[in-house]
Amino acid sequence: MNATPGGEDGAIIRLDHVSRVYQVGESEVRALDDVSLTIARGEFAAIMGPSGSGKSTMLNVLGCLDTPSSGSYVLDGEPVEKLSEDQLAEVRQRKIGFIFQSYHLVGRMTAARNVELPLIFAGVEPRVRRERVRAALEAVGLARRTTHRPDQLSGGERQRVAIARAMVMEPRILLADEPTGNLDTKSGEEIVALLERLNAAGLTLVLVTHDPRVAAHSRRVLRMRDGQIVEE
Amino acid sequence: MRRRDLIALARETLTLHRLRTGLTLSAIAIGVTAVLLLTALGDAAKGYVIKEFAGVGTNLVIVVPGRVETSGGMPAFGGSTRDLTLEDCDAVARQSAAVREVAPFSLGTGSIEYAERSRDVRVIGTTTPFLEVRKLTLSAGRFLPPGDPRQGDRVVVLGQKVARELFQGENPLGRLVRIAEWRFRVIGVLGPKGSSLSIDYDDLVIVPVSVGLRMFNQTGLFRIMVEAASPETVPVALEQVKAVLTARHDDEEDFTLITQDAMLKTFGAVIDALTAGLAGIAAISLAVAGIGIMNVMLVSVSERTGEVGLLKALGARRRQILDVFLVEAVMLSTGGAIVGVIVGVTVILIAARIWPFIPLQPSPGWIALVVTLALAAGVSFGLMPARRAARLDAADALRGRH
Repeated sequence: MNATPGGEDGAIIRLDHVSRVYQVGESEVRALDDVSLTIARGEFAAIMGPSGSGKSTMLNVLGCLDTPSSGSYVLDGEPVEKLSEDQLAEVRQRKIGFIFQSYHLVGRMTAARNVELPLIFAGVEPRVRRERVRAALEAVGLARRTTHRPDQLSGGERQRVAIARAMVMEPRILLADEPTGNLDTKSGEEIVALLERLNAAGLTLVLVTHDPRVAAHSRRVLRMRDGQIVEE
Repeated sequence: MRRRDLIALARETLTLHRLRTGLTLSAIAIGVTAVLLLTALGDAAKGYVIKEFAGVGTNLVIVVPGRVETSGGMPAFGGSTRDLTLEDCDAVARQSAAVREVAPFSLGTGSIEYAERSRDVRVIGTTTPFLEVRKLTLSAGRFLPPGDPRQGDRVVVLGQKVARELFQGENPLGRLVRIAEWRFRVIGVLGPKGSSLSIDYDDLVIVPVSVGLRMFNQTGLFRIMVEAASPETVPVALEQVKAVLTARHDDEEDFTLITQDAMLKTFGAVIDALTAGLAGIAAISLAVAGIGIMNVMLVSVSERTGEVGLLKALGARRRQILDVFLVEAVMLSTGGAIVGVIVGVTVILIAARIWPFIPLQPSPGWIALVVTLALAAGVSFGLMPARRAARLDAADALRGRH
């Protein structure tokens, strides 16, 4: 199993008839409605769709921040739909990196400290941490910005810190939620280029975006509406 | 997750909000200081009382006529109280092996006159051993001569103040004074002693007990003062005195034995209760400070909802999130406790300098207790906000919802 995680076809994500139903007052909202989806190792997929189409829920389920109400989800060869909260946290720690539209950097911490956070919670030794943080920031071209706080960095730089933080644990998948949404065109393009480089190095990349130009970089575009994938 | 990392993270957050941290810290510190000051005052009061009683003599057993106890209702007929007599004194002295000295003690009030001057004084009637039993000293002359307590010359020993007021610098030794119309020759003057057991030894006169009883037409003694051979033999002496007197009083225990130990215990218990009460009142301010911590932590959790979501997305477990916030709360209360102890101890030491006659001193026991209380407040009031943070839904928290 560990030799070829995900089975013979090399799928890293396999959703099988997954639904996610919320109870809002009296009525049910089907944020995901019987979705089946397979994403191969090393793939670059973009999810598009209007707001309320279920993109966010999809990303939450893929990122193990939320669990399906029904259906099965096998991530990197590991069924995760029945895991407890702490077990899911452990899966996120080992396998998933997140990038957000609003960066989610901790304002009181330097760039290096932000990147160090996942390592701290994983209990990595301080000496090892320093080296990995340095390498991660260097990889995103911020070797000279390590002691800057987020408010001393440009938007593009902030997103690069966030990417360094997402990559420092060496995840299998990078999930990006509107990564260029708060950036000007030029910075956005730089970020997309950086993500493409990571993808080219073997990282599976799934991103949610409104921007068709960003989606155009991916080899696969999934369009969602009313909790379903309506077009590939 | 390493403990050091937890502490470092908490310190980063706490130093960010200096004012908020400072205020919460002060609240705890004030509570801790209040507990320390009030308990130090209570302890000082106890120390003061103990010091006063120490002058009584640790070997002392006092026999008081009558049974001091409340049994309710009318005393049974026939249960009359016999006087304590000089014969009782003799018997105790002869028959109780653990007793070193016995001194009878009669008490009256009369006016003493010398050369147109007069003064109302207490008149104590006793015998030679009284000097030793009550730890008195002489500044001039001698004390009552030994001899049969039933005989007695008309001699008197004056208290310091009586001698000073009456003789105005004149040497009183050998002079004749008149006490309650009886003539006495002054044979000695007591050294300074002050008050002990609510009797001012500077403002009284001492005469032979037989004379004292006759002067005031008394049949019984006011007290019998018994000195045990050593502090350790006090309980034995107590039993022996009780047995001797009970046998002499037709097998009836119609007297009361008081020891310094018992008095100290009683007063000590009263003052301890007062001190505990004061500490309790001060502890209320600690509880209020604890609520302050809870409030600050709740604000912090709601401000940092997004951060909690992020940490969860990065793989932080519930327990780790709980620890992050709990450590902040505990660091607040610990910091407050440390400041409070420093301020409290400093104030106590300064006060002890200013008022050296009050035995004020910081007590390690109270410090340990109050620091423990402060830590407990940090944990218990920090727990609820920390739990709230740990239970946040990761996806909701990332969107800033809680």
